[in-house]
Amino acid sequence: MNTKRIIRMLMSCFLIVLLCSTAGCSSGVQHPKTVLKVVPAGSLLQPFDEVEKSFEAQHPDVDVQIEGHGSIQAIRQVTDLHRPIDVVAVADASLIPDLMFRVDSTTGANFTDAYTPFATNAMVIAFTNKSKYADEITSENWYRVLSRPDVRVGISNPMLDAAGYRSMMVALLADRYYQNTTLFPVLIGSHFAPPLVVQDEGGIATIILPEVLRPSDEKLVIRDGSIFVLSHLEAGGIDYAFEYRSVAEGHDLRWVSLPPEIDLSSPDYADEYGKVRVILGFQRFSAIGQNRTGQPIVYAVTIPNNAPNRELAQEFADVVVQKAKIGGKGWPVPLN
Amino acid sequence: MIRAVTTICILLVLSCWCAGCTGTAPASSSQPVTTPSDVFSSWHLTVNASTRAEYTLDQIRKLPTTTGNGFAVSTVGIKYGPYICKGVLLTDLLEPSGGISSGDQVWISAPDGYLWVFDYDQVKGNGFVTFNEDLKEISSPPLEILLMYEQDGKPLSYNDGGPLRVAIISKEKGVVTEGSAWVKWVDKIEIKKK
Repeated sequence: MNTKRIIRMLMSCFLIVLLCSTAGCSSGVQHPKTVLKVVPAGSLLQPFDEVEKSFEAQHPDVDVQIEGHGSIQAIRQVTDLHRPIDVVAVADASLIPDLMFRVDSTTGANFTDAYTPFATNAMVIAFTNKSKYADEITSENWYRVLSRPDVRVGISNPMLDAAGYRSMMVALLADRYYQNTTLFPVLIGSHFAPPLVVQDEGGIATIILPEVLRPSDEKLVIRDGSIFVLSHLEAGGIDYAFEYRSVAEGHDLRWVSLPPEIDLSSPDYADEYGKVRVILGFQRFSAIGQNRTGQPIVYAVTIPNNAPNRELAQEFADVVVQKAKIGGKGWPVPLN
Repeated sequence: MIRAVTTICILLVLSCWCAGCTGTAPASSSQPVTTPSDVFSSWHLTVNASTRAEYTLDQIRKLPTTTGNGFAVSTVGIKYGPYICKGVLLTDLLEPSGGISSGDQVWISAPDGYLWVFDYDQVKGNGFVTFNEDLKEISSPPLEILLMYEQDGKPLSYNDGGPLRVAIISKEKGVVTEGSAWVKWVDKIEIKKK
């Protein structure tokens, strides 16, 4: 037996193992990435995709996972479903104190104690080149164009989407602004059986939605979420859609702006916005009531108190706030 | 001897290889979602109609069974499915309680506080918006509302909405329906008379 040969073989073997466990193999070792779970409102998906890419580029050991929901459903992931979420961002800031400034029975602490408003938005009328009267519509005549019998209009479901009840608020505010009480019925109310009737409740124009929100004719189209309304718009199934300006821009749609008195964008008109109310057909979530009263659109971000990665979450939220100040395609409007 | 040493060397290298040097680690280190046990022995379904009835999961499973294709999409376009859904049709479940009539509504809710309302047309399979797998709207084929307790041949897990979840099913494959109606963790069904 050649002892030297055996020693050489053992040494070679040792070297291979050493190399494998250090240089060569360590490049193949993938340490588990830290998952940062972020739940934004649907209208924030496009800008948050941008934040995700830049954040992961700065933090190669972090996997940002974005999961979009309607704003209420986003909060429910924390409050009702008790999921470990790092960042929640909503299109209606008032939902956070309403739903999260309360004690989580599993921890004894509030779901959250603070939030950061970071953007606003405006409701607009989105359309395409294929839309009927696309060459005619302006910010001044939009309601007359949408009222024409051959024009089809789309909104998202107010039961599911803040943009949905905000669309109805815009139509109610338009009634007041243009001093034309037939507008809401022509655009929305008369396309249900029975029709939605505007009631004056202490100076607040109020509509009560039916439990099942299905239009009775083809003038009005309602879909669960904005993406389906816009998909229908792009396919030519409808001519116009009530939508957030940032979402219309993000989808490269044409749009006309509405007067600030009715587009829910300006704190200067908060009192005016508060004169319309939508009462949902049923309490979809036991944690939140059915009344939605008009107010300026404010986006906000919060970090739940049980977030698994608080420091990273704060850093992510800070990036959102910073980028929102700059704005850009698909971003809601920066707060002043 | 040399053969033995060679074997040892090969085994050493292989063990190093297999120990994780080349393995791809999962891209997650977050805590899993806290889930109650998938043993649903204390669960029961309450059906409030002209009479009040309660069902255990075993009793539900003994009702007439229906299987169909289910495929849902969330409000932001996330698709869930396609699934092979097995369970009891809502119409079959309501039949012993007198069924429903035109103008009635069915309210289906869960202990997490979620509620969805179906009208008579929907209980009969009409009035749903349907998409193809590319989320383009299509004409609705015949649909049915199922209370699903098995998904893809396995008992429905808690994470998937078990023990009982609403599924909108079709005989056709690739028919996507809006997910808001797919109530998870169903434990109460009420008929609201006109």
